Amino acid sequence: MLDDKRREVKKKLRTLEGLPTLPPIVAKLTRMIGDETVSAPQIAAVIEKDQVLTSKVLRLVNSAFYGFPRRISTVSNAIVLLGFNVIRTLVITASIFEMMQSRDVGLWEHSLGVAMVSGLLARRLGLDQPEEVATAGLLHDLGKVVERATLLEEYRNIQQMVNEREIPWREAEAEILHMDHAEMGGYLLNRWNLPERLIEPVSFHHEVHRARNFPVETAVVQMADLLVRARGFGFAGDPWVPEPEEKTLKLVPLSREDLSALWPELEVRFYELRFFTEEIREALSAKSAST
Amino acid sequence: MRRVLLLSPETLPYTRWVEALRRKRYAVEIFSTIEEAGEKVLFNLPDLLLVAEALKPDLVHDLVFALKCDLSLATLPVILIIEPEKLHHIQWQNYFVDDFLCEGASEEEVVSRVELAFVRSERLADNNPLTGLPGNTSILRKIEEVIRSEESWAVGYVDLDNFKPFNDAYGFSRGDEVIRMLARILVTTVDLYAGPRGFVGHIGGDDFVFVVPLEVAEKMSREIIQKFDQLIINFVDPEDRERGCLVTTDRQGVLCRMPWPSVSIAIVPVWKDRFHHYGEVAAIAAQLKHYVKRVPGSIYLVDRRK
Repeated sequence: MLDDKRREVKKKLRTLEGLPTLPPIVAKLTRMIGDETVSAPQIAAVIEKDQVLTSKVLRLVNSAFYGFPRRISTVSNAIVLLGFNVIRTLVITASIFEMMQSRDVGLWEHSLGVAMVSGLLARRLGLDQPEEVATAGLLHDLGKVVERATLLEEYRNIQQMVNEREIPWREAEAEILHMDHAEMGGYLLNRWNLPERLIEPVSFHHEVHRARNFPVETAVVQMADLLVRARGFGFAGDPWVPEPEEKTLKLVPLSREDLSALWPELEVRFYELRFFTEEIREALSAKSAST
Repeated sequence: MRRVLLLSPETLPYTRWVEALRRKRYAVEIFSTIEEAGEKVLFNLPDLLLVAEALKPDLVHDLVFALKCDLSLATLPVILIIEPEKLHHIQWQNYFVDDFLCEGASEEEVVSRVELAFVRSERLADNNPLTGLPGNTSILRKIEEVIRSEESWAVGYVDLDNFKPFNDAYGFSRGDEVIRMLARILVTTVDLYAGPRGFVGHIGGDDFVFVVPLEVAEKMSREIIQKFDQLIINFVDPEDRERGCLVTTDRQGVLCRMPWPSVSIAIVPVWKDRFHHYGEVAAIAAQLKHYVKRVPGSIYLVDRRK
């Protein structure tokens, strides 16, 4: 079927340039980079907390210039290959969200939470590279950042539809954009030559049954997404917690007992994350108060 | 069409320069802020860069350094545009540009400099096409330079173990990826420990040379090994990763299990008057290699003889 809206959205994605990052993150990194006592792993740890910068670093290292596309899936490995000066240039020249809404911070917090829980679940399940699954969790809602940054009119319409009709964000996306954020995110990561191990969990985090090569990783991201929503950490655009798919429950078997054993550990990590997100929130409100 | 990027104010005479270059069939883009240009340059490398130092001196220096050093883009010509009165302050050995133009240069001069820069970069073809790193002529020159130096240096010879079976199992294009990966690790780690005093050259195939101050050589070698062992996993197929080895045929055509590549480093300390020419350094490295090669896994060895 011909679908002009999908075609229009994909065209926008193909010509997409410079996704913006939260200003306090860029400011924090710029400060760290100017400080000679700060090491590369410390800088990596901050970059790993931002989905836009992480996607940029991975996009660059997997680009044709370096000659090993679709290989590198974590920021720490990317930094080893890119080098400090390239990272510095990427950070210094990163564009920032000029107008900030508390929603943007909410989405970022949500992604950060999903990254953390994904990594933890991956480790629990004994997966090969838990760090990589955490990266997939961080990037899972990149499509929503794109909507906010380059499809602003549609983004506002989706937001309005979600509020008025009380439907999930995905449903509103399907009606307005004829595709959802998962497909958009996956489409971009694929164009940027990122590894399949990241693309599948992002593309199918609402449709685990469609993941062919990395179903477990995809199911982990779905489970993490709904645990973070249920916990109420950050804001993913709508207040609803979706049901896990049958397949997810099979691939990530978490009984009530498992969950209550896991929860205290999760709470500790949420608590740690809160320190970071509060710092970013404070920096933002200080900035908006001064202007 | 060759892409030229001009980082300068969008005012006269620069807009005229752009017109003059376009008449010569260059695709020219102009950016007036480094911040705006940085990301574009990284994701879409031009064939030549003209940068006005005055835009933001520190940032310009960082950008040029990131491109020419970190990305080992020695062949990317960079021309610095500078105020004539600043000429005697500039320390060229720290700048990594190929040429300069004074602000207010004529259009003819700009066009000539650009053309000359392209011709020159083709002539300096010592760089390895796979990695962009300096080749044998530059390596020889660098080693002779440290032999004569007053300070103590380490010359490291780096190569891969089990590279051939890896190439046989996955094909040479995956092999090339691993070579590039090793090159990147060497460049970024040498830069981290030695900055602009360090040097990385590519002899060919899986053979590399680095030169760093002696006191950092061992720590740096350990880090190179750790990074390589951590990254090589990404270049091994999931089945083989699970199995813990590659399965390939040996010279007699018999199936055998092989480990994936590891890195070995032979370090030759060079202090004043220890050596007289390049060949002596290479000979010691060859002896060390002989020992290193018999040890499985990634390893480095330092020549401790006085």
